Amino acid sequence: MGKVIVVTSGKGGVGKTTSTANLGTALALLGKTVAVVDADVGLRNLDIVMGLESRIVYTSMDVIEKQCELSKALVRDRRVDGLMLLAASQKNNKDDIQPEQMKAICDKLRTTHDFVLVDSPAGIERGFSNASAGADEAIVVTTPDVSAIRDADRIIGLLQNARIEPINLVLNRFSPQLVGNGSMMDQADVLDILNIELIGVVPEDSGVITSTNRGIPLVYEDGSPGAQAYMRIARRLTGQRIPIHNFEQKGILNNILNWFTRKR
Amino acid sequence: MNISIKQLFGRKPKSSSIAKQRLKLVITQDRFDVDDRVMTRLHHELAEVLAKYFEFSANSVKMDLKQEGNSYILVADFPYTKFHDTNMRQ
Ligand SMILES: Nc1ncnc2c1ncn2[C@@H]1O[C@H](COP(=O)(O)OP(=O)(O)OP(=O)(O)O)[C@@H](O)[C@H]1O
Ligand SMILES: [Mg+2]
Repeated sequence: MGKVIVVTSGKGGVGKTTSTANLGTALALLGKTVAVVDADVGLRNLDIVMGLESRIVYTSMDVIEKQCELSKALVRDRRVDGLMLLAASQKNNKDDIQPEQMKAICDKLRTTHDFVLVDSPAGIERGFSNASAGADEAIVVTTPDVSAIRDADRIIGLLQNARIEPINLVLNRFSPQLVGNGSMMDQADVLDILNIELIGVVPEDSGVITSTNRGIPLVYEDGSPGAQAYMRIARRLTGQRIPIHNFEQKGILNNILNWFTRKR
Repeated sequence: MNISIKQLFGRKPKSSSIAKQRLKLVITQDRFDVDDRVMTRLHHELAEVLAKYFEFSANSVKMDLKQEGNSYILVADFPYTKFHDTNMRQ
């Protein structure tokens, strides 16, 4: 029986879809069978971020309306073994799906896959309840800024009420430079506020943008800092113990530079 | 790079510490707002149950949630005027 993990955030645009695409791919590269599910009905993006947009025929809506079998709606990623995508309907909206229907889909997928990753829409309304309905565990994605962290705390409260655990934090778009000069909170600050387990820190990486442009998740390509970060998180998800990477360690020259450019 | 002497030697707190401080305050408040709704419901339900056994005036009842480290303590004051004898003997 596989695990169902919802990838969520509260605030929009912090990297849920990027994280779902890269973690799903990374887990498949590690030899796991993975289904990634787009739960952002009406605003689907996981297909285009993964470069599978031209191959979508059916969506979760078709499965729910019994227009097709679940297995037929899954699109296989041909670049790696064991990775499948279930797309969201673009012409419907979040209220057209019931939480129980999403749960039924997740429960079916977990019988055939080691991991089911559900990409949640932003917000705390119906889209979130649908995305989290079938989840055992959660990954909360946040960036190190005040609004994203505040919204993450709200989502964590809702996940705890729903008895979803563990809730693991991905700190995304982390900039060692900005932390160094005092204008960005570091991981200890964020953890002190949110009080959940950190599963990984993903640095700000322009490779994320170019890989999204191409529709090739970062982890397929080189060992850029972002790709390495996602690979480490995927390994932790499979149960490997890997210490959290410390991006702040920089040479003495950097420290001197930071001292001169520090902001207050 | 555009830094003034004042920035170099000033002792203004870093903006990241300000962010952290502000977040801690606002999140405590957010969490309390959410708890507040649950507390009101609990208050009503507790009063309903207790009313079977005690006589008390509704506005004398006080409930409070206190945080101690990582856990919360629920303190409820229900000053009662008398027992309902019939119920107590059942
Ligand atoms: N580590 C990173 N480095 C650089 N850019 C990033 C990083 N993570 C995400 N981005 C960029 O941020 C933008 C938003 O990312 P993404 O779509 O994954 O967020 P989201 O949380 O799914 O958004 P939404 O709430 O709209 O669904 C994208 O343009 C993406 O390329
Ligand atoms: Mg998204």
